[in-house]
Amino acid sequence: MAAVPVSVITGFLGSGKTTLLASLLRAPALARTAVIVNEFGTVGLDHLLLEASDEEIVALDSGCVCCSVRGDLVRTAGDLLARRAAGAVAAFERIVIETTGLADPAPILQALMTDPALADALYLESVIATVDAAAGAATLDAHPESVKQAAMADRIVVTKTDLSDPAASGLAERLHALNPAAPQLTAVHGALDASRLFGGRPYDPRLYDPGLYEVPARGHATVTTFCLRRNAPLRAVTLSLFLQVLAEHCGAGLLRLKGLVHVRESPGRPAVIHGVQHVFHPPAWLDAWPDGDHTTRIVVIALGLDQRWLEALLDALDDEVSELERNQNVQSCDPR
Amino acid sequence: MLVYHDAMRHDAAWHARVSLVLSGALRVWGVSGTVARDPDDPDGFVVARNSGPAMRVRHHAPGGWTVTLRDPVPGAQAPPGRHAGLPGLLRRLREDLAPGAPAGRLVIGAQPLFGRDLGGQ
Repeated sequence: MAAVPVSVITGFLGSGKTTLLASLLRAPALARTAVIVNEFGTVGLDHLLLEASDEEIVALDSGCVCCSVRGDLVRTAGDLLARRAAGAVAAFERIVIETTGLADPAPILQALMTDPALADALYLESVIATVDAAAGAATLDAHPESVKQAAMADRIVVTKTDLSDPAASGLAERLHALNPAAPQLTAVHGALDASRLFGGRPYDPRLYDPGLYEVPARGHATVTTFCLRRNAPLRAVTLSLFLQVLAEHCGAGLLRLKGLVHVRESPGRPAVIHGVQHVFHPPAWLDAWPDGDHTTRIVVIALGLDQRWLEALLDALDDEVSELERNQNVQSCDPR
Repeated sequence: MLVYHDAMRHDAAWHARVSLVLSGALRVWGVSGTVARDPDDPDGFVVARNSGPAMRVRHHAPGGWTVTLRDPVPGAQAPPGRHAGLPGLLRRLREDLAPGAPAGRLVIGAQPLFGRDLGGQ
């Protein structure tokens, strides 16, 4: 059975997540969608605002999914899949998780990435962040959670654009500086073509265009977004050590890392790497390079990490691995 | 078994790169301090917190590092041993200079990036 795509809709309080989701669920393309709604509070309301059609809606209302109910989330997703297999619920083809407005998306993604029972059945398709066109700038200023949500998103939906023009207010530029690779879509009263948010290719080579990341992250001193590029292929050991050092020393600050890597030992098949903080998917190997650019490109979205440090670290690790290789070659040639 | 060569000499670019790695690590750990070349050792560095003891870091090719106290208090135990590679060196420095800094470990999740049935495409 095909793995079920999972999308996470996040966004600060009042930014229009539920309105967007309710509107999307009316689209025929999302008719076979299971929804997991996380509500923070003793009495959840958001799931009542979603109109039930063919979709299955489950509310997690015992706390914020990022800090207290990760186990519940995994269990709920597993339970939905079991009920689908048993024919107890409609045969949904997609799961959408709506987080609380205060949620940090990272632990949610990690919970889904690391659970072995779900590994064969689900795959993370995208993280969607809603940002209020009218209040978004002030929210970004005042609430680090909202900065993190926008920085980690694969797509950003700017809502309430009937109230404020994000381009005129500077919000669009600010979001672009924060997360240059995430397309910014707009929605008024949740109206948005679902096909622009879901589906499509699971791997998008446009994400790895270094030109996207030449704009420094203005207005968010703590969040940096950049692309490390290497012309020479990387040794597999160097890549592994690099990721280990990042995970060990800056795990919490590493919001997302996405890379298209020319691994020296696999010249014709680039590796795609994705990580959220210290948790990574197993590398995926493409059958071929998507275009003529065979350079390694590693996109980093991080809190307080300096590009120059990561560049130096990657080079220094490669120096060491190269040094070890030379030493082993010398030893293997030594007749003693 | 690896053989360490103590007579290794590195160029200025290598020194600059390693200095940047070490000083960047101090910032990541939230440690106020400095990294400088060791005046007594062409392959060495001195990593010093603004308060507290300085550490002497020395490279031994290939891929080996030693860490010792630069000015050990008479009778004090100098941190022993060698560390294989920069990852080991950075871990040791963090434990000595920033024991309270968060430390994680790489986790490779169970879930394939694109779903099991998609075969990497």
